[in-house]
Amino acid sequence: MFTAWWDEPADGPTNMAADEALAAEAERRGGLLMRLYGWSTTTISLGAFQKIDDARLVGDIRGRPLVRRPSGGGAIVHGSDLTYAAAVPKSHPWGATPQVLYDALHAAMAEALAERGVDARPYPTSDRAADESLFFCFDRRSPGDLVVFQGADRGVDWAAAGVTTAGSKVMGSAQRRLAGVVLQHGSLLLDGNAAVTGSARHPAIRELFAATRLTTPTELAHAWLQRIAAALQVKLQAEESPFVRGREAEVAEFAHRFREDRWTARR
Amino acid sequence: MSADLRFAKTHEWVRPEAGGAATVGISSYAVSALTDLVFMQLPAVGKRVKAGESLGEIESVKAVSDIYAPISGEIVEVNVTLPGSLETLGKDPYGAGWIVRIKPDDPAELAGLLDQPAYDALVASQPH
Repeated sequence: MFTAWWDEPADGPTNMAADEALAAEAERRGGLLMRLYGWSTTTISLGAFQKIDDARLVGDIRGRPLVRRPSGGGAIVHGSDLTYAAAVPKSHPWGATPQVLYDALHAAMAEALAERGVDARPYPTSDRAADESLFFCFDRRSPGDLVVFQGADRGVDWAAAGVTTAGSKVMGSAQRRLAGVVLQHGSLLLDGNAAVTGSARHPAIRELFAATRLTTPTELAHAWLQRIAAALQVKLQAEESPFVRGREAEVAEFAHRFREDRWTARR
Repeated sequence: MSADLRFAKTHEWVRPEAGGAATVGISSYAVSALTDLVFMQLPAVGKRVKAGESLGEIESVKAVSDIYAPISGEIVEVNVTLPGSLETLGKDPYGAGWIVRIKPDDPAELAGLLDQPAYDALVASQPH
C-alpha cells in the first residue's frame, strides 16, 4: 500500500511540521507515504545547511517569509510550485540510499509530464563546487533533476561536454535521512511565480511549454502518484481528507521549532 | 579494522581507547551510501549527548543525515579538520576519519552495541 494526501495551503512552519509528522507516520506504518501541498503565501524555504546571511543578501526575496527545511539542497520560492514530501523507512527498497528514491519519484514525474507533452529529462551530471555557490535550488543541477532542454540543446550530451548548468530545471528534491526513515522534499515548477522577480524567478513548465496538455496540478499529481504506485507494484490509496486532520496537536507542537529563530537562523 | 570496534544500527562505530574515552566515526557503508559529501557540522567539546541523539549532521549533494551518538557521555575531543577534508571519511573512515571522542557515562553501554559480524550481517540485510 502507498498512501498519499493532498493538504490545503499552509504557512512554512506548519508545512515543515506536517512533513515531520509524515516521516514519523511512515516509520510507524512501514511503507511509502506522500503529502502534496501548497503555501498560504509566497515563502522561501532554505536548505538545512544554507546560511541565513546568504538569504538576507538576496534582494529579490527580501521581506518574504523564510522557513528552514530539515532537508538539504538550495533555496526554493514556493507559491506557484507543486510541493511534495515523501517519507519511507530506510528498510524499504527505496529508502536505503539517497539516489533510489530521488530517481524513482523523478522518473514517474517525467513519464506523467511526457504524457502531457512536456519533455523533461533527468540531468546526467553535477558540479558540486559550482552548486555550493548557487543560492537557489533551481539554479543548481544534480544527477536526476528534471531539466527541460529546448531547441538545439536537446541533442547535446551535457555530461560528455562537462556542462553542469544547461537547460531549465523544473523539478528538484532533497532528503533528510533520519535514524529509521527518509524524508524527501521536492518541488515542481508548474507555474511562474508572479510574486517574485529577478534571480528568484525561474522558468516554469507552463511558460516553457505554451502548448502543453497540462490541466490542473491535481490532475498531474494524480497521474504522478499512479505511476509511482505502478513502479512499486502496490495500490495507491489517495486519502480524501487532509493529512493534518486529526493530527493538529502533533503538527502544532512540531511547528514551534520551525517558527523559532533558533532553527531558522541556526546557520 | 580492529576487532574492538562496536557499531550502532544507525551505522556509527565506537572504539574504546586506553584513557577511558571512546572514539566515534561512521562506517564505510554509511560513507559510501552518501555520495559527494558537501558539509559537516560537529558538536562542541563539552557537549553532553545521550545514546541515540544527534551529535552532528552531514550533507551530501541530495541528503542531510544525522550522526547519532552510539553511547551517552561527554564530547571530549572533536576532529576539527574533518569538515574541511570530507574526503578523509571515504579514504579512512576507521582512522583519520574519526569524528568525536566521547567520555562514556557508562562504559558497559558499549556491550549493547553490535560486534563486527553482527554489523556485517545488518549491512548485508540492507536493501540494495
